[in-house]
This record gives sequence, structure tokens and C-alpha cells, in this order.
Amino acid sequence: MGVTILTQFPTENRTGPQTIDVLSKRIMALGAIQQGQFLVDCETYTSVQQLGPQRTVHVLHNSEQPATVFSLLETGTKTIPLATDGLFDLLMMKMSSFYTSKKQTKAESKGPRYEIGDFCVKLGTVTVSSNFKGILVEVEYRPCVVPAMCWDLLKEFLQGFLGLSGPTNPPAYLQNRMQEIYSPIDTIHQYLEHFTLFRKSPVEANVN
Amino acid sequence: MERDIEQLNSALNSVKILRSNVRRVFESVSNGLRADHGDDGKENKFILELQELLTTVNNNLRDVENSVSNLTPPSGPFSLGNTTYLSQETTQERQALYGQLVNSYKWTDKIREYSAVAGNILAANSFNKTYKTFSTTKRRKTQTSNHNVPPEVIENLITSIDRLFTDVTITTNRPFVPNPVIQASLGRVLKAIIAFKGLMIEWVIVKAHAESNDLWSESRYKVFRKVTENCHAAMCHFHSPMMPELAVRSFMVVYCYIFFVFLKMYKK
Repeated sequence: MGVTILTQFPTENRTGPQTIDVLSKRIMALGAIQQGQFLVDCETYTSVQQLGPQRTVHVLHNSEQPATVFSLLETGTKTIPLATDGLFDLLMMKMSSFYTSKKQTKAESKGPRYEIGDFCVKLGTVTVSSNFKGILVEVEYRPCVVPAMCWDLLKEFLQGFLGLSGPTNPPAYLQNRMQEIYSPIDTIHQYLEHFTLFRKSPVEANVN
Repeated sequence: MERDIEQLNSALNSVKILRSNVRRVFESVSNGLRADHGDDGKENKFILELQELLTTVNNNLRDVENSVSNLTPPSGPFSLGNTTYLSQETTQERQALYGQLVNSYKWTDKIREYSAVAGNILAANSFNKTYKTFSTTKRRKTQTSNHNVPPEVIENLITSIDRLFTDVTITTNRPFVPNPVIQASLGRVLKAIIAFKGLMIEWVIVKAHAESNDLWSESRYKVFRKVTENCHAAMCHFHSPMMPELAVRSFMVVYCYIFFVFLKMYKK
């Protein structure tokens, strides 16, 4: 498990599949090999009024950690992360009378997964309740576990194949955790940040 | 060798062509007169066709003779010993043996070839792990053994290295008392697992910070496999049977140097 950077790639008048096509051509030209597909999905549940102040639980799955269910509980003042095994999904179903899922909020990012040397690149098409929202590019540098150590390398790699749309600063979530050891839940935090932004954004015209 | 095979191939090819054209002659003769020969002078047409086919066969035969004369006969008989009779074995389950035997011949041949090449290279670059003197002068130095040294000496060496390099964190464990295995971690990026044999470095493997401490498995990551290669080169280069302590110390300097180059590469 290495350091992962998640960044949004602007579609610029192109449709989702066209953008994925452009990016996959670029990464293949660098010598990457496709290694299957990936999927990250997110479902959000909110507590019913009887439970007092409203709390939100985001339940996420990542195909990179297929046996784990990640959940982030937002109490309003702080966020509590939790990594559990697959049974957590069933538990949430049992609690459906306390935590109800809002309709139209299921967000997911899926697409091809590439490996190039020690890097792992994922080109995700983001849909919120099956409406196309945008493109998320995930790049993981696997040998390193401290973000501060490899941020410059990752930045260079990202700018190398995303051009000017590559990030110039670390993701907001990582900025005060640069010296800490990176773990899969940090990737989940980054995904949630982007999904929340995408949910708020208006539906794009080019629905696929 | 390559040319021989090519010629053999072309000879086999021309035999194939000859066979196929001879077949066409017999086919034509057995069919006799056909409807497509028409009515007027059908016999003449048939004879002409046959003549044409025979000319082709003649030409093909000449090709075969030419290519056969180009072949060079093998210099001596192929001696396979009693194993030649294996090809005549009639029992079903033993017939497979012949193929395997031929394969093993091929492999032994390859091994001989490679070992000859390796022998040449090793003769030119000596990586001797034991110190030998070939001089015949009377002033022979006493040969020190580096394999069998008291554990305290190694202990002192490791402690001094630990003091010398502040960036390196060294943890030691001793599966066998005189031969410690040390794990030298640099930052939170990489670690080298170094096995000693007496005072000499026996084995080095570099891995990512998050990987296991197993001495025998390679790193999962390309970048650390490359660093391991460099460390092996450094280990062989600095190996000196006369001054083993210096060799270990030089190796550690190079190891640290590799690490700083590595960090530089990370942080442009």
C-alpha cells in the first residue's frame, strides 16, 4: 500500500468516454499495462430525527480492498473513520430504521486500472445516481508510505500525463498529514471529498 | 550452424515441392481425358499437358539435387550410445523417454556452453571470497580468517557503524551466534537486510519500509530491486579479504549515498 493522489480531470467539451479514451491513450503511450477494472462506490445514510442531532454515515467500498467496508461517521464536529469487513453492509441494512439512505446519492467511480512500473493509475468515470459527473484520476506510488517523501515525484508523474490540469499542491486532506504513514482509509477520505463536491455540482449536459 | 539449418530447410522444401508435382502427374494420368480438353485434338492437348507437368517435375528434381549437393555432411557419426535404441522401443509408455532424453542432451549442451562463458568472465574478474597468495617468497603473511571471528569484534563493528551514520537505524538479531543479520533502516523509506558471515557481508537485500524482513524474498517494487542490484555491486566491489572492516564500512557509506541519491530523486 503506497501513497495515493486523487485529482479531478476537466472534461472540456468532451464526453466522459472520450476523455477516458484520451487519458488511456496517453498512459498507454508511456508504457502502462492495463490490469483489469476498478470500482469505488459511496452510499450515504442519515440518522432519523428520534436519534437527536443529525449524523451522517458514508459507506464506501474500494475494489483495491475488496474484503473491507469503509465507513465515515460525521457527527457535525468530527469525522470518525471505521474499516470493517463485509458484514458491515448487512448491519447497515438492519439499522435501516435508524439510518435511512437518501435517494439519488449513490456515487461511484469506475473505469480501467493501469500499472506502470511501481505506479498504479486508475481512470474513473464518476456517476452520481447514474448521472455522469466528471473524471477522477487516481495515481498510487506503491513503494513509499510517507506522502511528504514522494509528493514531488507524484506531482511530476501526474503533470507528465495530465499536462497543466495536474495538481500543483497536495490534496487538502493530505496537507496536514504529509509526514504520517499513509493508509487505505486516507484514499477513502479523498474519494469522499470529491464525491461530496460532485453531488453538489449541477448535472452536466453531456449525460452518457 | 545457422546456415546449415537454412540449407537443410530449403532442401526439405524442394523435396516437398517435388512430391506434390509428381502427385499432380499421376493425378492427371489417372483422370485421363477430361471434358475441359474439348473435342478437337483432345489427345494432343492431353499429351501437351502431361509434357508440361513432366517438365516441372524434371525442374523440381534438379532443384532437389542442387540443394542436396549444397548440404554439408556431418563430420562424424552422432553417438547417442545405447539410447538410440530407445527410438525403436515398442511399448507405449516408454516411447516418451526418447524425447525427454533428447531434451536433456540439449540442456547439458547449453549448460556446458554457458559455464564456459561464465568461466571466462570469472577468470577475468575475480571476486574471491578467500584470500590466497600465490607468491613463493619466504616472507609469507599469516593468513587471517574472516569467517571465524569472536562475536565481540563483530559487535564492535556494528556499534561503530551505528555511531558513524546517524541517519541509519540498526537493529540486530542473531539466528546463529557468530553470524548476525542486521536490519539498517533509512528514514521511513527503505531498509537493507544485511547478513554477515563472520566479518564479511554475505547477503544484502533492500526493501520498502512496509515490507517484511524476510531475507530470501525480493522486494515487490521495481525501484528497490534496482537498489538491491546496486548494493550487490557495491558489496562485490568493496570486498577485501585483507581488511574486512574497511569493506563493511565502505559498503555502508555507499549504501547511505544510494539513499541520498534516492531521496533527491523523490524530492526534486
